[in-house]
Formats: sequence, structure tokens, C-alpha cells
Amino acid sequence: MEEQFKFTKQYRNILGIVAITGLLVFMASVFIFKPVASRVWANVLLNNQYFLGIALGGAFFLAVHRIAWSGWHTALQRIPEALTSFLPIAFLLMGILYFGMHDLYHWSHYEGHDPILEGKSAWLNMPFFFIRMLVYFAGWIALTRAMRKNTDMLQDSEDVKYHNRRKVFAGLFLVFFAVTVSASAWDWLMSIDAHWYSTIYGWYVFIGMFVTSLAFMIVLIWFLKRVGYLEFIRTDHVHDLGKLLFAFSVFWTYLWFSQYILIWYGHIPEETVYFIQRREDFEFIFWLNLALNFIIPFFALMKLQSKKQINWLASIAGIVLIGHWIDYYQMIMPGAVGENAGIGVPEISLTVAYLGIFLIVILKSLASRPLIVNNDPFIEESLHYES
Amino acid sequence: MENSNTITIVFEDEQPMLQAIKKIRESGAEIIDVLTPFPVHGLDTALSMKRSRIPWVGFFGGLFGGLLGFGFQAWVFTVDYPLVFGGKPLLSVPSFIPVTFECTILFAGLSMAGAFLIKSKLKPDKKFEPIDPGITDDKFLVLVDGTGDTSADKIKSVLVGIGITEIK
Repeated sequence: MEEQFKFTKQYRNILGIVAITGLLVFMASVFIFKPVASRVWANVLLNNQYFLGIALGGAFFLAVHRIAWSGWHTALQRIPEALTSFLPIAFLLMGILYFGMHDLYHWSHYEGHDPILEGKSAWLNMPFFFIRMLVYFAGWIALTRAMRKNTDMLQDSEDVKYHNRRKVFAGLFLVFFAVTVSASAWDWLMSIDAHWYSTIYGWYVFIGMFVTSLAFMIVLIWFLKRVGYLEFIRTDHVHDLGKLLFAFSVFWTYLWFSQYILIWYGHIPEETVYFIQRREDFEFIFWLNLALNFIIPFFALMKLQSKKQINWLASIAGIVLIGHWIDYYQMIMPGAVGENAGIGVPEISLTVAYLGIFLIVILKSLASRPLIVNNDPFIEESLHYES
Repeated sequence: MENSNTITIVFEDEQPMLQAIKKIRESGAEIIDVLTPFPVHGLDTALSMKRSRIPWVGFFGGLFGGLLGFGFQAWVFTVDYPLVFGGKPLLSVPSFIPVTFECTILFAGLSMAGAFLIKSKLKPDKKFEPIDPGITDDKFLVLVDGTGDTSADKIKSVLVGIGITEIK
């Protein structure tokens, strides 16, 4: 079987126009509405984190399946693999934050005596912040690149050593990722509220990433099937992706609640300030977050058929994609922008621009190779998989 | 023995069994039951079984358990024994969530297990009468209804070329 996605000029033009229009509208809205600088930078951070999360979630999906030598996912492994090709771009976009540090992170320029920030200054200082950023991305990019190259080798050669090597890369990635995903969440998101801390925050962000990535994969598979590709992705594969989306939406809620109840119960002013701000100034967003990421996927994906029908599943995945954008919004905006925050033209246009760029990068990567890895030892199992 | 008219076919492996089930059903004979040492993929479709209704039992059991757990706490802490703790209001919903969650799972699980036992008629005084000692180990059994014109010889002729261990 040989099937290759064609990234035609038409797609490229449409996505290019989407990205450029989004960018121009964003710039125009910045000049016309003159939002505070922190709102502009918070938007950049939000979209960086959102699309980075989709890419990293894809890498995690691959690593966790490969270390278990899972068979079922091999038919669709090119999809998450293509998602990881966005990581170098994500690195550049995250690097831009250098110019917005003082608008986003008040620990970078505090004046006078601040015992809490002085206590954290060994970790939260500008040089170390960027050294860590470099280390995270160096590891992620190197390992995902090695994983993609290795799959390419497996495409061309029947040597089983390329298959065995996947487990090594998967193991290395998981160990590195376990530490860095948590630490990067402290750096880029939690340090916005530098006086506040939560020990479960890293895992909360990580699960959000994974759910976003699963939802994105489902929507992408739905699209590719619609335009006539991926005939070999069966209802059973879709069913399993649906089960994962359902399960990890519930798990996300579990972590959300674990964070909330401990802070609510402990009632320590240093900690409760985080939720007081969100429940009083961002009340609608606060409840919308739970509705889109828990209530809707939980009830809409509970029945068997709802996870098997890709049209229904993809529409729920679309809602979850919006939901996790909202989730990042409520993590970033109250601390970084405060009362000047809002969802308006700058937010939507920049997200549209990022989506255009993201799709160009991943679809280009997807089109560069066949959609199926014929020499994968598990491919037959996956093609006849029953959920 | 379920009854003396049951034809029992013993298999060593799942694949011959699945082939045999297809052939037996094509021949018009009726399969009463299939006993396997582990869940076999594709068996439900091979037998054209209807989907189990047990998820509904689980859903309503869970719903009942959740409402019961929440309702009980709400009643205790506001009506029966109002007690202020941690400076929280009497009806403080977040603190009820863990118990509500656990009750939901407990009732969903127990109601499904109970429904299964009742439906399978597994009463406490149920005697274990193995149709074939092999079912407690590694054998696959297909039970065919032997009333009417179906006989062991007829089944045997249908299953020519498929690895059967025993037919009786």
C-alpha cells in the first residue's frame, strides 16, 4: 500500500492567506485598539503554548505507544509524527518572548524588597530562564527529529533494528519529557503569578496538552478522510482515539479538581488568591472552561456509537480544542493582563494566524512521506485491528 | 450437562472455533453457548450477538449512587447535624465531590456486577457442573442445540477440515 498526502498549491494558498490575513488583522487591531502591551504578549504566549502543546502531545502519544510496543496505532503514526515537526517553529516563536518578558513576568523586573521573589530568584532569573528554554527545546527537537528520521529509515529498509530503536528513543523522550514538561509549565505559565504556586500545576498543563493533541489528531484524521485519504484508518482506530479523548478529558478534570479542592480547603490567602481572581473577575471563563472540557465531552462521548462515528467525534473534539484554548486563557490572562483582558479581535486573529502557520508546517511534513509505514512489523496487526 | 440433546464440540484453538461457528450457523443449527478461556476478538460478531445492556445498568446505578451520596451529605451537614468546620458554609459543594464521586463508582460497579449475577442465574447455592473439564483449563467449547434434525454426525460433516478435538 502506497498512499501519500498531496499538499497542493490550493491548500498552501488558502492556508497562507489565512495566516497572513490573521497576522495583518492582528497588527491592525494592535494599532487601532491600542491594547496594553501585556495583552499583546500574553496572546503570543497563549498561542505559543497552545500549539506547542499539540506538537508535544503528538510526541508523547508516539512515545507512550512505542514503549509499550502497541500495535493498533501504527496505521496512524504519521499523524502525530507530523505534529512534532512544528517544534522548531515553536522554539523560534517562544524565543520572541525575550522582548516581552517585562510585560508578562513581573518577577523579571521587581523593585524594592520582595522576600518571596528573592527566595525564588535562583530559579526565576532571566539568564537561567532562557538557558532552560534552550535545553527544553534542544531535547524535544533532537529526540522528535531522531524519531521521525528513524521512521523514515524503517520506510526504506526492512532491517528490524530500526524498529527496535524506536523503544530507545521513546524511553529517552519520556524521561526527558516528564521533567521538562513540568518545568516548562512552571516557567512559562505558573511564573506569571510568581507569588503563587501549586505543586500539581505541571501535570495539569501536561494533561491539557495531551487532550488538545488528541482532539487535534481526531479533527485532522476526519479532514483527511473527508478529502479521500486514510482509507485504512478503521472505525476501530477512531473508536480508540475517542476512548482516549474521553478518558483524558475526565483525567484533566480530576487534576483540575485536585488543584481546586486543596486550595479551597486549605484556605491559605497566598494560594486562594489565584482562584479568587479567576472566580470573581473571570467568572464566565472559569465555568466555561469546565463546561467545554468536562461536561460536554463526558456526556457527549459516553455512548459507544458516539466514539465510533467520526463526524460526531470530530465535532466534540472541535469543542474540546476551543475548551483548551479557554483553559490556557484562564491560566495566563488574569495574572498577566488582569482587568484589561478580553476575547476580541486581537485574540481571534492571532490564533487564526497561528493555526494557518501550524497547518502549513504539519501538512508539509505529512506530505513529504507516505501516510503508511509498510515495513513496520505491527502494520498488519493495525490494519486488521479490532477495538 | 445442560440437557442430553446438547452437542458439545471441543477446540484447542480460537481460530478453528471461529471458522466452525460460521459453518455451523450457515448449516442452520443453533448455537446455545460458547465457552472460552479468554475473551476472543470477533466472537460477538460471529455469533451476531446483540449489544449488552449492562452499560445502562451501570449508568443508572452510577447516577443513583451519585445522587444518593451527594444527597446524604447535604442532608447530614445542613439538617441532621449542622456543624461548621474550616469556616466553610454548611452546604459546601466542593467538599462533597470526592464522596459523591466514590459513591457513583461504587454503585455503578456493584449494580453491574449484581445485574450480571442475576442475569446469569449465579445464585450462591449454584453447583459447579462442568460440561467438560477442559473449560477450566485451555479448551474452547461450542454448545449446539441437538433437538430436531441436528445430530453430532451432521455437525461433524459440516466441520470437515477444521481441527476439532472432540465432539459428543
